[in-house]
Formats: sequence, structure tokens, C-alpha cells
Amino acid sequence: MSRFNLALRLLWRDSRSGELTILILALIIAVTSSTAIALFSDRLQRTMVNQAAEFLAADLVIDCSTLVAEDWLNKATQFGLLQAQTVDFSSVLIEHDELLLAGIKAVSDHYPLRGILKATTAEDYTSEAILHAGPEKGTAWVEKRILSALKLKIGDSLTVGEKPLTITHILTYEPDKKGNFYSFSPRVMINQADLAATNIIQPGSHVHYFFQFSGDPQAVLDFKQWLKPQLNPSQHLVDIHEDRPELGTALQRAERYLGLSSILVILISGVAIAMATRRYTERHFNATALLRCLGCKQQEILWLYSSQFVVLGALASALGCVLGWFAQEVLFQLLKELLPPQLVSPGFGAVFFGFTIGIVVLLAFAMPPLLRLKQVSPLRVLRRDLEPLPASAWLVYSLSIGVIGLLIWRYTMDIKMTATILGAGLGVLLVLWLLTYGLLKLIQNWLPSMSLTWRFSFQGLLRNSSTTISQILAFGLTLAAMTLSFTVRTDLIDNWQQQLPDNAPNHFALNIFPEQQAAYKSDLQQNAIKGSQFYPVVRGRLVEINHLPVQQFVSKDSQGENATHRELSLTWTKELPEENKIVAGNWWSNEQLADQVSIEKKLADSLKIKLGDLLTFTIGSQQVNATVSSIRELRWDTMKPNFYMIFSPGSLDAYPSTYITSFYLPETQKDLLNSLVKKYPSTTILEVDLILKQVKTLLMQLTQAINYLLYFALMAGFTVLFAAVYATLDNRIYEGALMRTFGANRSFLRRTQLLEFGMLGFISGVFAVIISEATTYILYTQWMAIEYQFNTGIVISIPLIGAFFVGSAGFMGVRQVLNKPPLRVLREL
Amino acid sequence: MQTQIKKTLNAIILTEDLGKAVVTSEGTLHILSSIDLIINSGESIAIIGESGSGKSTLISLLAGLDTPSSGTIKLQGKFLTEMNEDGRAALRNELIGFVFQSFQLLQGLTALENVMLPLELRGDKNAKAVATALLNRVGLGQRLSHTPKQLSGGEQQRVALARAFATKPAILFADEPTGNLDSKTGETIINLLFELNRENQTTLILVTHDPILAAGCQRTIRIEAGRIV
Repeated sequence: MSRFNLALRLLWRDSRSGELTILILALIIAVTSSTAIALFSDRLQRTMVNQAAEFLAADLVIDCSTLVAEDWLNKATQFGLLQAQTVDFSSVLIEHDELLLAGIKAVSDHYPLRGILKATTAEDYTSEAILHAGPEKGTAWVEKRILSALKLKIGDSLTVGEKPLTITHILTYEPDKKGNFYSFSPRVMINQADLAATNIIQPGSHVHYFFQFSGDPQAVLDFKQWLKPQLNPSQHLVDIHEDRPELGTALQRAERYLGLSSILVILISGVAIAMATRRYTERHFNATALLRCLGCKQQEILWLYSSQFVVLGALASALGCVLGWFAQEVLFQLLKELLPPQLVSPGFGAVFFGFTIGIVVLLAFAMPPLLRLKQVSPLRVLRRDLEPLPASAWLVYSLSIGVIGLLIWRYTMDIKMTATILGAGLGVLLVLWLLTYGLLKLIQNWLPSMSLTWRFSFQGLLRNSSTTISQILAFGLTLAAMTLSFTVRTDLIDNWQQQLPDNAPNHFALNIFPEQQAAYKSDLQQNAIKGSQFYPVVRGRLVEINHLPVQQFVSKDSQGENATHRELSLTWTKELPEENKIVAGNWWSNEQLADQVSIEKKLADSLKIKLGDLLTFTIGSQQVNATVSSIRELRWDTMKPNFYMIFSPGSLDAYPSTYITSFYLPETQKDLLNSLVKKYPSTTILEVDLILKQVKTLLMQLTQAINYLLYFALMAGFTVLFAAVYATLDNRIYEGALMRTFGANRSFLRRTQLLEFGMLGFISGVFAVIISEATTYILYTQWMAIEYQFNTGIVISIPLIGAFFVGSAGFMGVRQVLNKPPLRVLREL
Repeated sequence: MQTQIKKTLNAIILTEDLGKAVVTSEGTLHILSSIDLIINSGESIAIIGESGSGKSTLISLLAGLDTPSSGTIKLQGKFLTEMNEDGRAALRNELIGFVFQSFQLLQGLTALENVMLPLELRGDKNAKAVATALLNRVGLGQRLSHTPKQLSGGEQQRVALARAFATKPAILFADEPTGNLDSKTGETIINLLFELNRENQTTLILVTHDPILAAGCQRTIRIEAGRIV
């Protein structure tokens, strides 16, 4: 205990003398940023997942066409999950001689488990209310289009099947409105208790049951894992990551980006900590020698300093956690307008994570230099030139690489990806180390032919080439991280914005009969509505690949399994649809025969389908064979009709088809929907603008958040800069003082130092460009599915920015060299 | 023979055939050879010699700061040469005090804290009182909270003296304690050192190349080219 008290006293004395300032600063920034990012991303993620869960109205849903076993529901109760059920089916409503195909939804108590319902009792929408439960028994809530199409008003009776119900609300929002193309039509929501009385559901009826569950995330996960093996092919389990691909992709990208930023900030802060500790260590050689001389054992020395560091780490981490908490609060305040009103409260787990990161990063990056103190010889009290051996390179690198590897793994949860990123990172570092070393050697040869100022500047770099190399790597890494944050953010946002342009289609029209297609098209054109191509659709199921049952090729939970357990929309077209890209084989030419099919790449990969394979489909009771002639990549999130299977023209002529299209309908032209529905009663219109709006809001929020995260990387970067400058400060001040004693004037020193740091920054900038461009390329092509483009602006600006910032910061750091009287400097050191 | 045994029994420091050699690119360099020494408890010894004669190496070996290449050292009956670094550190803490030419005060600490340090390392609860008393004794009672930078060279060495005597060491090694001071200040310091030595009955081993300073000691050992002459 007395040793610990001594450690505390030494720590207090050190901190008072300013020895620890840089180290504390580096630590606080590391912890503040990692806590803020952990808290922010955790809170944002949970808010987004909650919000996304609203789209399901639950955390987990079983989607099936028959009732599920009772014991499944009992099991869910055992797991402590809340439950609700909805039953979706289509039914024709007849009122006042008007016919309308409506999507009926019978909802149980507790529906919706997540999210809200919005409804109004006034037909002018003036009093829209937020509701947490569906219609009561004997009542129905309807979408406004139902009222206008069937000439009804609130309070009227609406007969669903055989059950007359009173219309009490106009339904304006339901969280889990499905984009199921073939069941979508204006909504009538009723209470499940009235379902039997409608007498609509008979054996064989086309009905969708949705068994919804919500509760503690772990319980949901446990239940999901329990349930998965028991599902039959017609039962489909849906959670937010599997449903709504366009939202899932955005979420996944965001999660990865947040994780990546956080690792970068931690890495940069780690470098700053390592540099600050190195200086701390070097400045404590004498004190340690004295302590050894006074009888401190090696282990005691290590204990004395490491316990100081742990205390320091705990204090700085605690402060960092508090600051991190405020930083994320400020962040959420700034983004208040964009975020949902009910934010998930910050999680203590994330604070604990931030704190742990602080201690772990401190120990991983500070321990190797600190261990040198253990090696200090007591003889140093008599011979100042005795320096302890530097810490083992293995120890230095394995500790920091281990920590970074663990962090990457935590965010990717993928060993292979972690190994790839680490391996590539180390490879880049090694190459850069060799390059820097080579460059310094080259400069050494040029020295004699340089002017005095340049020669002195470069000699400054060459004097301690290993320090220079590590500084260049540290600055290079920092600049690369900042560049990466900037470019990835910009490209990610551009990519998202391109993904969902303002006039992206917001409605799908389905079930258009071939004879209606031309008229439908001209109706859209007459109303100046821009639509996508009309695609014929034949429903068919893939049953065989090269005459072998498709089940043999299916792996559990794969895309292939998903696609083979249901009917697919099969289409044909002469031209390759927009945003589809052939990655293998060729698109058909006019001369080619029918019975060819082009398959989407991911499905082909999942089912191991290759060019030339023969696929067999069943359409109704008949079978169709087609040879795979091309494999396509496409983007599912374009809000345009997309297809797994596209046949060559003529292949499916013998089968009845309907058409599908998508179009953009501005809010002001919503009335047109009614007239379209009336004119083409058999068609189904799917309104996706609401979904789009929600997705866009999410993307906007992410954009703002990512902007903010960049500042943390910047802050950490500057700490490295100052830590590195201060790490060599003593030596520089000493040498500067010597040179002034020998007659060098201040302006000469100023020029050489500016030039030295400027060159350091410039070379670091060049390397930063190499690192960031290589990383961007790998990230985009392997990970984020964004097209890579070489950025000339970055290539030119980063080395200049590096020269400017490192040059001016370094110069500011060492200006004491110019201002202190040389004699005082020499006496002090 | 009996006198020799008596001497040996009373010895606080005993060396036999002590040597230190280093291997350089030009062969083995013998810094010290065949040093046989008996230093009795309470004795004051001056080790004199030219620069590079091996004085500092000798005291670094005697204090256990360095290890010999050959021979043995016994400190208060314990073989220093059989101890590992931690054992030697423990012995230093228990027996030995130091005064250095370059003072070796910790820059971040005040005068009081510097003197408290060895006591704190021992876990002494009265560290502050003892250190304050010693600083009063060396005439720095009014400078307790001053840091080394705020003290003159002579004052810094007085703090170092107070620190050296804080743990009441059995042996005090002083390596050219006046080497960095002007002659007047040096004289004050050396008088103080001898006074404190007498008060504490410490064995004093003083390395110097100043014959006047050496004359103040009970015995003088001259070293030339690594040997006692």
C-alpha cells in the first residue's frame, strides 16, 4: 500500500511539473473520442435498429401462410417476449355498387409491438393522432382511398366478408406496411377478434400470417436461434437485417463506417500515447537511475511506473468518458431535428467500453516504452551516457497490433476480414518503412551539393533516422486516416445520394394485363409522369439445375434457399435493363435463339450456377428449360423493377403474363392514384414513397453523424503531431542552443526548422496519399461496393497540407529554441 | 594474523582481488585490477587519483551499482558479488547513501520531496518530519518548497547531502561532491559533509582528486591505472 501511495505521490509531483501534460492530453482525446464514438454509434445504432424495427412493427417476425405450432408461441413467452399477430389477405369490398380489391389486415392485441399507428377521425386529416393499438372489435380503420372509391365516410358501415364493421378512423400510417407486390392494395385494418366472423379465411385461402415478437435483444436472439432449425420452407423469419435490403445495406455500411472511424481514432491516439510515453520515459531515465541507486528493485520500478500509468489511465479515461458523454450529447442535440423524437438513452455498456479502451490502449501503446525504465542501470547516476536498450520490437508491435486486431474484429466479427485488413496494413507499413529508409539514404548522398539551410534541415531529419522514419510513418498514418475519413465519407454520401435521387420512383404498378399496358403507359405520359420500363412478369419456380433438384445446391439460410422456396418473377427483355451489368457471358443478340436466361450474380454464386448450366422452371403445371447465357450484377435498391431471372425474348411467350413498372409521382399528384385504380381495377399500386422518405431521413442522419466523427480523427491527429514534436523537443532545444552559441542567427534556425518540419510533413503527406488511396481502393472494391476513382485533388493537396500543418505545428513547438537564451537552455538540460 | 582477522571482523567493506574489465574492439581493457580493500565501520576514506584512473568504477562496484569481472565484495558481512540486481538494490536501500558531483536531484520535486524520496521508498511514515529536520540542519529550512531550478549549486548539493543522510546509511559514497562548485562553496559543503558524517557515525568513502579534501579523511587510497598504489 505504501508503494502505491508513493506511486501516487510521484504521479502527483510529475503532473505538477508538467511532465504528463501531453500524455494526459493524448489519453483524454483517445478516450473522449472512443467513448463518444462508442456511445454515439451505440445509441444511433440502437435508435436506428429500433426505428428499423418499426418497419417490422416488431423485432422479429415469422412470415408464413399457415398458423404456426402453439408451442412456438409458448416458447416465446418463456423467453419473455411480447407477441402480436397480424393476418393479411385480399378481399373484394362492395359498397354503393362500387367494387374494390382491398388488403385486409386483422391485428391482435399488443399490435404494433414496435412503432406507432397514425390515424385520423377527420377526413381533412386535421387531427391525425398517434396510436399504439389497432381497431377495437366491431370497428374498421381504412385508408382514405377506400372511402373515396366506395363512397363511404367515417361512421358508415363497411362489410368485410360477412361481417359488417363501423369505420371509425382513417388510417394514415402503419409501420409494417409490406411491399408485397401481389397483395398490396388499399388497407382495411380490423381487429383479429372479428376475423372468424368475416368467414373469408377458408382452407386454401391465400393468407399471410405474421407472428411478431419483441423484447430484450438477447432474448430475441436466443428465440431466433431456437426457432431457426424448426422452420419449414414456407415459414420465413424476418428481422431488420434481413428485411428491407435497402435499409439493411445503409445500416450495415453505417455500422462499418462508424467502427472504422473509431479504430482510426484509437490507432492515431495510440501513436500519440506511444510518442508521449517515449518522451516521458526518456525524461525519467535519470530519476529511475536514482531510484535504483536508492534501492528500488527492477520490478518495483516497473510497478511504480505502471501503477502510475494505470491511475493516470483511470483518471484520464474517467474524464474522457465524461467528455465523451457530453460530446455525444452535444452531437445528438445538434442533430435533434433529424433524429426521431424518442432517442434510445445512452448505454452504460458503451461508457464501459470507452473506459476499457482507454486503459487497454494506454497499456498497449505505453507499456513497451515504459518497460525500458525497468532496464535503466543504477550506474547511470555516475555515467549519464548509459541508456537502456529500446523495448523489443516484437513487444512494441505485437501489443499494438493485437489491440488493433481485436478492435477490427469487434467491428467486423469476421476473422478473415480482420486478418486481411491487418495483413494489408502491416504490408503497407513495411513497404513505407523501406521507402522512407531508401529516401533518407538517397537524401544523404545529395547532402554535399545542397545549400547550407537545406543541408541543415535534412541533417535534422537524418541525424536520428529511426525517429524520423517513425515520425513519418506516424504522421503519414494520421494524415492517411484523416484523408480516408474525408474521402470515404464524401464518397459514401455521394453514393447514397446517387442511390436515391430526388425523383427516384416512388410507386410500383403491378398486375397490368398485356392489353392494358399501352393505355397505362400513355396515361402516365399524359400526366407527365416519368416511369421506368414496363416488364412482363411470369411467376415461376426454379426446380432443377442441370436436371438435378435445386435443393441439392441450396445451403441453409442462403439467398439461394430464399429464392428457391418461392415463386420468382420471371421476365424477358431484348435490352439489358439499366443499372444491370454483365459480369460473365454475353447479353443476347438478335440472332440468338430463345430459351436462354440471364441470372443475377449473387443468386448464381449462392446456387453455384455457371454459364451454360441448364435451369428448369415450373410455371403453373408446365416446365420450362433455359440455358444460362449471362450473369448480371445489379443494384436492388434502385426502386426500379429488378429480376433474378431475365429470359431471352420469346422464351416465355406461351405463358400468361402481367406487366410491372415503377414511376415517380409527386405528392401533389396523389389523386391520380385513385383514377388509375378505378380505370385499371385489377392492377395493384404499391406506394413506396413513405419507405423512401424514411430511408432518406436515416441517410441524412448518418451523413451528419459522419461529418462529426471526422473531427475526432482530426483532434487525435493533432495530438500525434504535438506528441511527436514534443518527443524530440529536448534534443532540438539543446542542439538549437548549441548552434546559437556557435553563432547561428535566429532567422537561419527558423528557416532550417520550418524546412525540416515542412519536409517531414510533405513526405508524410505523400505516404498518406499512398496509404489512403490503397486502402480506399481495397475498401471500395472488397467491402463497400462503391466504385473506386483515383482522386487527383487528394494527391496534390495532402502532401501540401501535410507540409503546412506539420511544418507550422513543429515550428510552433520548437520556437523555444529561438526564444530561450542559449546559456539558460544549456544549463537547464 | 590476529590483527588481520580482527580488522576483517570489524570491516564494513571487504574486497578481494576485485577487478573490472571491458571487452573493446581493440582487446580487453582492464579498468581495475587486484583491488584488496578493508574499510572499517565509521572510517572515512578518500579515494584519489587522476581522471580515468578507475576511482568512479571502484565506488560503483563497492556500492553495487555495477558488477565486477573478478573478485569478491563483502558489505557488512554479505557477499555483494553473489547477489542479483534486486538483492543489491535492497542492500543499497538498507545500507548506502550517495552524494554525486552533479547533485542528481529530481527536477520536478521540491527540496523537501527530494529528501523525502529515499524515506518514502522505505515506507517511512515520518518521512516529512525527518526530511524537514535534515533540511533545517543543512540550513535550507526556508527553502523546503523550492525546486532544484530555484536553488544555487551549493544549495542543491546541501539538499543532496540531506537526502544522503535521510536514511541514516551505514556507508556514504560521495563522488567528487565539490567538483561542480566553486572553492568557497565547496569548502562549506565539505565541512557540512564531515559534520554530518561524524554526527551519524557513517562510513564515508569519498572520491576526489583534490588532495586537500582527501586530507580531511582518516585514510587515503590512491589509484593509478586501475590499481591501488
